[in-house]
Amino acid sequence: MKKIISFVLLVIIFIGIYFAVSQIPYGKDKMSVSKHYLNNGVKENGASNIVTSVVLNYRGFDTLGELTILFIGAIGLGVVLFGFETKGKDIKSPSLILNAGSTFLFPFILLFGIYIFIHGHLSPGGGFQGGAVIASGFLISYLGYPKKRISEKGIHIVESLGGTLFILIGLLGLLLGGYFLSNILPKGTVNTLVSGGIIPLLYVLIGIKVGAELAGIIYKLME
Amino acid sequence: MESIGMAVTGFGTIFLFLGGLGILRLPDVYNRLQAGTKCTTLGAICTIIGVGLMEPQWFWKTLLIALFILLTNPISNHAIGRASKNSGVPLCDKSVIDKTEDFKK
Repeated sequence: MKKIISFVLLVIIFIGIYFAVSQIPYGKDKMSVSKHYLNNGVKENGASNIVTSVVLNYRGFDTLGELTILFIGAIGLGVVLFGFETKGKDIKSPSLILNAGSTFLFPFILLFGIYIFIHGHLSPGGGFQGGAVIASGFLISYLGYPKKRISEKGIHIVESLGGTLFILIGLLGLLLGGYFLSNILPKGTVNTLVSGGIIPLLYVLIGIKVGAELAGIIYKLME
Repeated sequence: MESIGMAVTGFGTIFLFLGGLGILRLPDVYNRLQAGTKCTTLGAICTIIGVGLMEPQWFWKTLLIALFILLTNPISNHAIGRASKNSGVPLCDKSVIDKTEDFKK
């Protein structure tokens, strides 16, 4: 009986999707908005990576929302885990190999993450990805030295600083450029490191914020 | 140069394939780790350096990537193996030798 019901449901869903999709003409692009982004993105923002210019300039407000979601997620995790006792005693000390490896790799991973978010407007990658790489660096240092703690206060300060500066830059755009997160700085030449106006600045802030947030989440979960 | 690069890449893909086969076929965690790390380390290094040989302007970059794979992959393998030994994952029945007790003080 269950199987029959699920089969009927599947058929209904398939028919619905088929009729919905079959109405769309194949191969025609009706998206004038995305066309505008593709044709004028480099000219208007000076960032050679179109995705970045869409994410941070045309839809900067959306990115702010994503940051808020991550922030709320971190807070929610803190709330859920608040009552639990931290049991750090039965952790076995890691072996020499992991120890030495994490010491050696940690700065390189940080460097790689910073590279990713500084070059976000030129190459694939950006703030979120770079932040995740930085958090993985903190994870490896945690695995190497479980006893060592980074201060939770420091994480919170860095995180809040990133978010606040992001909003401040947005408000500055509102003040000087007429709308929230408008590109107030000079565009520069395309394909150089200093180009794209506020985009690299915002990506650095996002990278710092995401990295701090994810590192905080990792430390909370590991305890 | 390009044919050398292709040969090296092909050599690497053979090892990647063998690693995948080993993960499917070998009996327990430790043997699978061996297949999953030794083979993929060599395979990935060979594939990446082969690409670097095909495109000479990328060579140093690929060498750097290979170096980091060489650093990270065995460390992670070691960590996983040690953690599974510590949390009591049993060895395969046919295992002959287990020297971990010798290292415990």
